[in-house]
Amino acid sequence: MLQIKNLHAAIDGKEILKGINLSIPTGEVHAIMGPNGSGKSTLSYVLAGRDGYEITQGEILLNGENIMEMAPEERAAAGVFLAFQYPVEIPGVQMTTFLKTALNAVRKQRGQKELDALDFLKLMKKKQKELSISDEMLKRAVNVGFSGGEKKRNEVLQMAMLEPTLAVLDETDSGLDIDALKIVADGVNALRDPKRSFLVITHYQRLLDYIVPDKVHVLANGKIIKTGDAELAKELEKTGYAGLTGEAA
Amino acid sequence: MSAEHKIMQFPVKSPYHPETAENVLRGFAAFQAEQADSAELTDLRIEGLNYVTQHGLPTPKLEGWKYTNIIPAVRGFDRLGTVRVSSNTVPGVIAQPLVKSIVEQDWVKKLICDSQTSTDLNINPILWHLANMYFRDGVSIDVPANTEVKEPLEIVMECDDGAFYVVHTAIRVGANASLTIIEDHRGKGKFWKNRLSHITVAPGGHLTHIRIQDDSKDAVYTQNTKVTVAKDGHYNAVALYTGAAISRNQIHVLLTEPGALCHLNGASLMRGKQHSDTTILVEHLAPHCESNQNMRTILDDQSHGVFQGKVHVHQIAQKTDGYQLSKAILLSEGAEMDTKPELEIYADDVKCSHGATTGRLEDEPMFYMRSRGIPEAEARALLIESFVAEIFDEVKGEEIREQLLERVRGWLEK
Ligand SMILES: Nc1ncnc2c1ncn2[C@@H]1O[C@H](COP(=O)(O)OP(=O)(O)OP(=O)(O)O)[C@@H](O)[C@H]1O
Ligand SMILES: [Mg+2]
Repeated sequence: MLQIKNLHAAIDGKEILKGINLSIPTGEVHAIMGPNGSGKSTLSYVLAGRDGYEITQGEILLNGENIMEMAPEERAAAGVFLAFQYPVEIPGVQMTTFLKTALNAVRKQRGQKELDALDFLKLMKKKQKELSISDEMLKRAVNVGFSGGEKKRNEVLQMAMLEPTLAVLDETDSGLDIDALKIVADGVNALRDPKRSFLVITHYQRLLDYIVPDKVHVLANGKIIKTGDAELAKELEKTGYAGLTGEAA
Repeated sequence: MSAEHKIMQFPVKSPYHPETAENVLRGFAAFQAEQADSAELTDLRIEGLNYVTQHGLPTPKLEGWKYTNIIPAVRGFDRLGTVRVSSNTVPGVIAQPLVKSIVEQDWVKKLICDSQTSTDLNINPILWHLANMYFRDGVSIDVPANTEVKEPLEIVMECDDGAFYVVHTAIRVGANASLTIIEDHRGKGKFWKNRLSHITVAPGGHLTHIRIQDDSKDAVYTQNTKVTVAKDGHYNAVALYTGAAISRNQIHVLLTEPGALCHLNGASLMRGKQHSDTTILVEHLAPHCESNQNMRTILDDQSHGVFQGKVHVHQIAQKTDGYQLSKAILLSEGAEMDTKPELEIYADDVKCSHGATTGRLEDEPMFYMRSRGIPEAEARALLIESFVAEIFDEVKGEEIREQLLERVRGWLEK
C-alpha cells in the first residue's frame, strides 16, 4: 500500500533523505528507529506533504497512486495521517471546532456525508473516553497549555477521529509516563486493522512491547541501513547504533 | 573668521496647506445662512471655520499624519449632505436629534461647545473644527443615573453618494448607569463622513461602545472621539473596521478620577488598496486608573494599516496600569503596516507596557491544520478569525460577539 522508492529530499539545498526504499503492505506495522538527526521526522513531513522540501529523486505511492503532487489536505483525505513529534499550538482555535472542521473536511473530500453537531459530539465523546481525554481539555485551544503527554494523546485522538489508512507516528511515545504510554498504545492497537498500515517512529523498544511491529527499519544518515523483525529493536536496545553505522555511539 | 557675515533668512516652512480646504469651505456661507439656532452655535461654527480656513485639511506633513494622506480621496467633495441618523427605541435611553437637545439640555450644549481639543500632536484638531463648522446633524444619547440598560442601542448613520457629511454625537452615561451602543456603518457609494463624538462616563458608569465600520470601499471615514471617564467608570470600546477606502480613527480618552478604566479594542481587516488608521491617546490624569489598547490588523493585497497609540501618564497618576499591544499580519507582499507605540510617563510608580508585532501567517499551524484535512483557504480563515477574535473577548453579550464574528467570517469569505 505504501511504497517509497529511492526517495531523495533536500531542505535549503541540504540533502537529508538520501535514497529511501520502504514498502509497507496493507495492514502491517513498521517501526523506524535511528539516531537523532538521521532524517526520521523529515521522512514523516515529506509523507504528509509539508512545504519546503525539495524532492530531487524518487517517488511515493499510496495504493499505487503517486501522492507527491498532492496538497497536505488531499493526502489527509487520501488516508495519510501524521502524529507530530512536536504537536503545534494554535491559540484561539478551540479543540472541538478544530476536530469538527477537520473531520468534516476529510469526509467531504472522501465523498462522505458531513456530520452534524450531534453526531460529531457522540463520536468525539466515545473516542475521547477511550483515550482518557477530559472535556475540559477539548474546551481549550488546540494544544495550548497541554502537557507533553496530553499533546501526544491528543494526536492519537485526532488519528482515531480521522480514520486514516496510513498513520505515521513520530515519537508519539516520547514524554509519556507509563500509564499514558499504555493508553496511547491501546489507542493505536484499537485502530489496527487489516486495511490500515502504521509507520511508527520511536527511540525506545519499550513502545514496541505494546505495539508489536511486523518489521523494524534502522534509518541512519538519510538511508535505511538495516531491516529486521521485532527482535531487531531488542538487539538495538542492547548494542546501540554504533555497530551498524560504524561510528562511535 | 571670515570677513563677511551674512544673515540668512530662511522662509518659515509651515506644515499647513490652507488651499486643501477650498472645496469644503465653499458651501459654508449658504449653510450658515440656513441655521437659525443660537449665537453660541454660530460662534462654534465660526471658530471652526476660522481654524479650517487657516490650517487647511490635514496633510502628511503634519506630525501624527505622516502615514495617512486623505487629501487625494477627499479632493472632490464640495457639497454637504444630510446624514440620516436613526436608532432603535430602548427603555432607559433618551436619544434625541442634536438640533433639539442642544437647545433644551445644558449638558449637551456644554459637551459640544466647551470641549477642549487636545494639544497632542497625534490628535490634531483640524477635523474636529471641520465638524464644528458644519454642526447640525447628529444625536444625543443620555442614560440617567442608576439605570442599567439591558438591550443594546443600535445607531445607524446613513449617507448617500457624492457628498461629504458631518455627524456629531454627544453621549452621557450617568452615575452607576450602564449601556451598550452598537454603531453600524454600511453606507453605499462614494462619500466622506467626518464625525465628532463626545462621550462622558460619570462615576461608576459603564459604557460598551461597539463600532462596525463597513462603509463602501469608495468611502472616506474620519472620526474624532473624545471620552472622559470619571471615578470607577468604565469605557469599553470594540471596533471592527472592514470598510472605507481610507479611514482615520482618532480617539482621545481622559481618565480623570481614580478607578477610571478604558479598554480600547480594535480589529482592522483590509484588502485591495484600503487604508485604515487608528490613532489613540489615553491620558491618565489621576492615580489608580487602568487603560488597555489592543489592536489586531489583517492586511491583504496592497492595503495599508496604521496604528499610533500613546499612553500619557501625568505626574499625579501614580499606580497607573497602562497596556498597549498592536499585532498585525500581512497576507501579501504589497501590504504595509506602520506602527508608532508611545509611552509618555511622568509618574514613577506605574505599570506600563507596550508592544507591536508585524508578521506573516505562521507556516506551522497552517501545515498542522492542512495535515488534518482542512483545506488551505479554510485553515487560513480559521487562523485569521482566531487572531481577530481575541479582541472580542471583552464583549459581554454572546449574541453581539457572534454578530461580530459573523462579520469577520463574511469578510473572509469574500
Ligand atoms: N529546516 C531545516 N533546515 C536545515 N536543516 C534541517 C531542517 N530541518 C531539519 N534539518 C536537518 O535535517 C536532519 C534530519 O532532521 P530530522 O528532524 O528529520 O531528524 P530526526 O531523525 O527526526 O531526529 P530526532 O530523533 O532528533 O527527532 C538534521 O540534521 C536537521 O538538523
Ligand atoms: Mg524527529
